[in-house]
Amino acid sequence: MRVLAIVPAFNEERSLPAVVAGLRRSAPYVDVCVVDDGSTDGTARVANGLCVTLLSLPVNLGIGGAVQAGYQWARDHGYDVAVQVDGDGQHDATFLPVLVEAVASGRAGLAVGSRFAGPRLAGAFRSTWTRRAGIRYLSWMLRLRCGARVTDPTSGFRAAGHEAIQLFARSYPPDYPEPESIAVAARAGLTVTEVPVRMSERLHGESSIGAWHSFYYLVKVSLALVVLPTRRPAAEDLF
Amino acid sequence: MTSDLVPFELQAVSIAVLAAFLLWVLRLVRTQRLSLRDSLVWVVTTLVATLVALFPGILVRAAHLVGFQIASNAVFGAAILYLAVNVLANTVAGSQNAARIRRLAQECAALRAELDIARASPRDGGGAAPGEAGRGPMP
Repeated sequence: MRVLAIVPAFNEERSLPAVVAGLRRSAPYVDVCVVDDGSTDGTARVANGLCVTLLSLPVNLGIGGAVQAGYQWARDHGYDVAVQVDGDGQHDATFLPVLVEAVASGRAGLAVGSRFAGPRLAGAFRSTWTRRAGIRYLSWMLRLRCGARVTDPTSGFRAAGHEAIQLFARSYPPDYPEPESIAVAARAGLTVTEVPVRMSERLHGESSIGAWHSFYYLVKVSLALVVLPTRRPAAEDLF
Repeated sequence: MTSDLVPFELQAVSIAVLAAFLLWVLRLVRTQRLSLRDSLVWVVTTLVATLVALFPGILVRAAHLVGFQIASNAVFGAAILYLAVNVLANTVAGSQNAARIRRLAQECAALRAELDIARASPRDGGGAAPGEAGRGPMP
């Protein structure tokens, strides 16, 4: 079975080596594909020295466009499972095999790593209470509109099976894609499951989501979850 | 041509402004900053507006037909609606272009990666990606 780790990275030259090293340690059978989302720092140079497949986007597309480029690579190169791992070091690669197993066993089409499912893990980062409130709301919206039961819909740590790879390569939201892509998968009839994982605070740099963005995030994703299910299908979905 | 509905001076100014606008649009087309296809809607609306400026009676009759008491209100209403439709059409074009650019950027990145792989192992014309070398067994 071929597994691809998709690592979207925007100006992550400092975190990237540790992220890739963590992947090699925890899952040496995984091919690593770093997607450099038009970084202005040395992300591409650093990635080149790490013996990974490097997808260098000529312009900054945002997290959704970058991750989708990874899924397209996975589709075109016949991977059975694709795992998304953030390039900022928030995702603990030791949980990657569990995520892969959830999909490889056929238990799910999409397995989402959750900070809130299962027992509280030591040293885990569970975000601020305002964010947790937003996350709970999104989780409720997802269950209401798509019937997907996910406690951590904003998690970008997830494994996609063959069908989900085909789907996401074709249809993936460009900005704040995590909750929406769960909706896309659920509406396409894929089983979405959760795997308890530990996340840490990012190693370097700042989160891309500030207070104003959080508000935009909630409004945009709410609208998406209301409108998405009513859309007519298209060859290449517009988001 | 002259009518008691609109003072002659106002009519003259309107027509002059519309003519200047039309010349501007045509200039944009000639200097290749606006495509002929996209200019059509502007040319047609400017011509219609000119027609109305020449014969204001048309507008008054149309306004009354729809139920407007005062023709100027009909002008404002129609203008706002027209602009809103125009902006929406532009946003639609923007959405489609964003999707196209995204697709192209992704294709570029994939092609560059394929090229890197092919260059790394030129003899067998491709082969394993750099990251695929020396991977361990699946547990």
